[in-house]
Amino acid sequence: MGRIPYWNIQCGIIIDILAIPVFCLLSYGFYRYWMKIRVGKDRIPLGLRSAAMKIGPLYIRSFFTRGILGARIYDQLFTGITHGCLFWGMGLLFIGTILVILNIVFGLPIFEGRFNKWFMSFTLDTAGLMALIGVLGLLINRLSPSKRLSAIKLRKGFIPMEITIIGILVSGFFLEGLRIASTVYEPGAWIGNMAAVLVSAIPNGLVWHQVFWWAHGLAALAFVTWIPFSPLSHLFLAPLNTGLSVPISGPKMGVLDFSAFENDDATEEPRLGVSKLSDFSRKRLLDASACLWCGRCHEVCPAAQTNKALSPKAVMITMSEYLNQEKYEDTSLIDDISKDAIFNCTTCSACMEVCPVSINQPKAIMRLRQHLVMEQSDMPDIMSQALKSLEARQHPFFGAASGKKDWRKDIDVPIFEKGKTEHLLWIGCAAIYEERAQKIARAMVNILQKAGVSFGILEDARCTGDPAKQMGNEFLFQEIAKQNIGDFMALGVKKIITLCPHCFNSFTRHYAPLGGFYTVISHAVMIDSLIQSGKIQIRSQLQHQAKSIAYHDPCYLGRRNSTFDEPRHALSSVGNLVEMNRSRNLSFCCGAGGGNYWSEEEGERINQIRAKEALDTNAEQIATSCPFCLLMLTDGVKKFTEEQKVFDIAEIVNAAID
Amino acid sequence: MKTLIVEIIEPNRLGELMTASRKFCDQPDIVAIGTGDIPGSYHVAYQTQECIGANLTASLGDLIKTNGYEIVLMSATTLGASIAGPLAILLSASIITEATGITDDSMIERPIYGGKAVARYKADTWPLILTIRRKYFEKDTLNGQTSSIPLPVSAGPVKLVTEKIEKAEGVPLEDAEVIVTGGRGMGGAENFSMLKDMAGYFPKGAVGASRGAVDEGWVSPSLQIGQTGKIVAPSVYFAIGVSGASQHLAGIANAKCVVAINKDEEANIFKRARFGLVCDYKNVIPEIVRALREES
Amino acid sequence: MHIAVLAKVVPDYAVPSSDFELVDNRAHAKYTRMIGLYDENAIETGVQLKQKYGASLTVISYGRDSDVPVLRKALAMGADRLVMIQGESDDAYTVAANLKLAIEKLGNVDMILAGQQSADMDRGLVHGLTAGMLGCPFIPQVSRISSENGVWTVDQIMENGVREMSVSGKAVFSITSVPENVPRIPAVRDIFGAKKKPVEKMVSVSGNGACVTEISVEIPILTSVCELIPMDDPGVMAQTLLKRLREARYL
Repeated sequence: MGRIPYWNIQCGIIIDILAIPVFCLLSYGFYRYWMKIRVGKDRIPLGLRSAAMKIGPLYIRSFFTRGILGARIYDQLFTGITHGCLFWGMGLLFIGTILVILNIVFGLPIFEGRFNKWFMSFTLDTAGLMALIGVLGLLINRLSPSKRLSAIKLRKGFIPMEITIIGILVSGFFLEGLRIASTVYEPGAWIGNMAAVLVSAIPNGLVWHQVFWWAHGLAALAFVTWIPFSPLSHLFLAPLNTGLSVPISGPKMGVLDFSAFENDDATEEPRLGVSKLSDFSRKRLLDASACLWCGRCHEVCPAAQTNKALSPKAVMITMSEYLNQEKYEDTSLIDDISKDAIFNCTTCSACMEVCPVSINQPKAIMRLRQHLVMEQSDMPDIMSQALKSLEARQHPFFGAASGKKDWRKDIDVPIFEKGKTEHLLWIGCAAIYEERAQKIARAMVNILQKAGVSFGILEDARCTGDPAKQMGNEFLFQEIAKQNIGDFMALGVKKIITLCPHCFNSFTRHYAPLGGFYTVISHAVMIDSLIQSGKIQIRSQLQHQAKSIAYHDPCYLGRRNSTFDEPRHALSSVGNLVEMNRSRNLSFCCGAGGGNYWSEEEGERINQIRAKEALDTNAEQIATSCPFCLLMLTDGVKKFTEEQKVFDIAEIVNAAID
Repeated sequence: MKTLIVEIIEPNRLGELMTASRKFCDQPDIVAIGTGDIPGSYHVAYQTQECIGANLTASLGDLIKTNGYEIVLMSATTLGASIAGPLAILLSASIITEATGITDDSMIERPIYGGKAVARYKADTWPLILTIRRKYFEKDTLNGQTSSIPLPVSAGPVKLVTEKIEKAEGVPLEDAEVIVTGGRGMGGAENFSMLKDMAGYFPKGAVGASRGAVDEGWVSPSLQIGQTGKIVAPSVYFAIGVSGASQHLAGIANAKCVVAINKDEEANIFKRARFGLVCDYKNVIPEIVRALREES
Repeated sequence: MHIAVLAKVVPDYAVPSSDFELVDNRAHAKYTRMIGLYDENAIETGVQLKQKYGASLTVISYGRDSDVPVLRKALAMGADRLVMIQGESDDAYTVAANLKLAIEKLGNVDMILAGQQSADMDRGLVHGLTAGMLGCPFIPQVSRISSENGVWTVDQIMENGVREMSVSGKAVFSITSVPENVPRIPAVRDIFGAKKKPVEKMVSVSGNGACVTEISVEIPILTSVCELIPMDDPGVMAQTLLKRLREARYL
């Protein structure tokens, strides 16, 4: 004889009937989110065509791994485990509740035999305990909030929810104990049985049981109703947002269409970038709705960590506040986020890499930046100077002391010949105009020549246009990119070797939508493959005196393009690789990204922080594979030592070959 | 050739113009602008208080026509720039501005393309209106004084509302002729006093700093030179312990002569420098200061 | 109010010396062409005055037909139209005579602005000559302009201070660079808008010449760009440095 539903309860069915309006209120709550989100401009795009496992715009894999399993939450262990306990505990209890309803309505035999003992009793008791431990842990988190939680603003609404959950769980155990105390020992219900011992002394147990039963049931219903109106809305919004996020790191800025400006028949000229909520895509508004203000982005953001105006958390908070107040057309959004903040972003994408609910903060920031630059011509002076130079001279290094050909003054570099040369060696702006970075280009030329690779450079120095794109001037980027694509077509360029991850990223991500499709190889990968294939020989005596080398992952090669192993592999063959505290996809930006090489950094310097981290490894050399990282770290290291320690991977390998 | 100098009464400018005038004549005439005695000896000296170029042009034109001057010399300053063009039209004169040299056969040299090239010109007709760049002609010693005849000037179209003359003390970096800049290689705030001493010995000397030094908090951000700070164009720019990042070089693109003092002989600043000293600045700066002190 | 800005298109003025080449006494044609540095300040000043006083703004340029696309930038910055006088002379009198004709053809010009000096010939001369030919007052190195009852009040940056002056009627001002008139990057819709603005082309007339002959143009030869003062006793090094600075006329 198993448990009897509604034992000791009259009209218990009321609770089940009440579940119907509760479900309606819950749906209404989320419908309100939709009403706000639909103000956004674009529909949720269908996303990558090539990605496998998709239903419409929903990426199944990330929906389950990051959305349902919450894989990223566990990056922070305490929060991860407590959150996991609560989520899975409550999840099991929810399943239990559903089963009870099924038992009542359809007579599903759940209160019998081993299922009753091991699931309905043992598992659900354990789940309740897990959830209780979890919610207590999270409550502690909230009562003494960590820096990241309290940064900018602490989100309210968690503590009442947590207390409600505690109430539901404790009342559940109480009424279970009271029931068991008044009936028989329940096999498997180890906590219920213990509770029964505790509550057996309480007089009027049956009355108390009724009180707790109703309190438990009504609290649970209230809780569910409350979900969409509290931070717990993330229960639904987080998996949804994750599932709809394109699973590629970095903001995918796409291509803006300027044709309406030229077309006299066009009825409306498009608005460039974003100045108010209604200009954002629906996905961005969903981002803002899903954000829990957990501050993990704040913790890894190079700007926020050096006390700049920008915190990705603050951007999301401002957006969500505007959304809640329905200020869809209010252009003071930009001022509230602050123009400085908008230009502080180094587009390193560390924020989106750690975001547990897969928010794309950089994209929101970049859209705002596009508006400021392309609609309002409002940007920091130095960036404006760099853009002007880029526009007029095809490179952003205004005031450069080097001429176009200075870097190859004393060496013979083949020029790309149509039909004869296989690879185009793309030098990029930094390695042409910046003295220190020129050495990268010379080293790479030497490596390629030694290896007998068929390569050539363009006669005329060029930029990919990436700095313009990063500074928000999509228009200038397209002008430059289209010209390059045209020239490449005329020259028959199919394979490109890049020295700079920004060029690499530009060619692979931003040229394709404009019609430029190439096989692009970053120089780190090329060097590695030349070593592995034996085309270049590392001097053998070197192995006895191998230096220790710390490798700094450039954001645009590592996090953005998942090139982590090849540079490490190559460096390992010439030295002893040392890992920095933050490396691979969690690498900390050098500070130059997003056009911030051309910025006046105030306060603490990002590059000095990163340089210090590199020096703390005590490695003899600091290697990187990006000319901008090289320049920033070289400068950063100067604060701590006079020694020249920072080198590009090409320089290090070039020095080690015969 | 009959030469007329038009200039404010300021010994440095007059000295330079006197040197330039020697290429054309033994003793020039002068229209001296301002009050006080006119230093130097001139054949005939005219004087006027009218200091606005646009108001002077007509009277100057009459004077030049009447006396048949063949050369009109001015320095390439705001005043010279005000007068030269309109006066040339008035006289249908040949004109060369911003000259930096006059060869013995009366060819005029002037830089073009921001100093990347030098052009030589010859005047075909007279009068020739010639403005000379400051600091390119040796100052002639001005002996004695010349008493002047007032130059009649009729009321011109431009009225002076106010005039703010900046004190000579504490030259703004943008106007400094000599800038002594310290970088991160200075090693500490206290070492900047050495640079101040040194800058003090130059008439329009000032101290600057690179971003590195400002970052370290050694000096105020108002001294920062570079693309993010002040853009300067001194005649001589001493870069001491400055590595020479492109952002810094952007701010000194117009410096005529960069002197780099740095321990690191590979420092980028040597690429931009006209003169280089590979050594510890702590040894050489006190010696420069000593040499300057002995001269003054 | 009708403001005319004189602007010249020049070869890239930021080409480093080491990379600079001459062909037929002029900068190599390979260098990117752009609006002169000070001329951009003048255009920006004009745009600001246009916005403040509701003026119309015309950019006048003497130069090659192929420079029109470069000058579109001035239209994108806010000028209303462009008058392009097609000519190739570098002679200041000739250029000024042509500019004068273009200004007179516009008829109702109240003020003429120009950059303090071009970024190629560095003469700072053409605006003064133009003023002389037009017979109107000329004030160089102006940093700020305001207008009241037909009287212009301007700030002139001098070597040792600032002078505020007033002048009435048509006048020519040369504009110097101050933070307030640093040109901004035009907004994208203005760049497209500029493509629809009118460009009037004029055939140049030959002037009577500035009566000077250009004999030669040379790139100064520097045997070594950086002259290293030989390592020696610090006192000797200091002396050598000061001596060399004086010999080279830097001090």
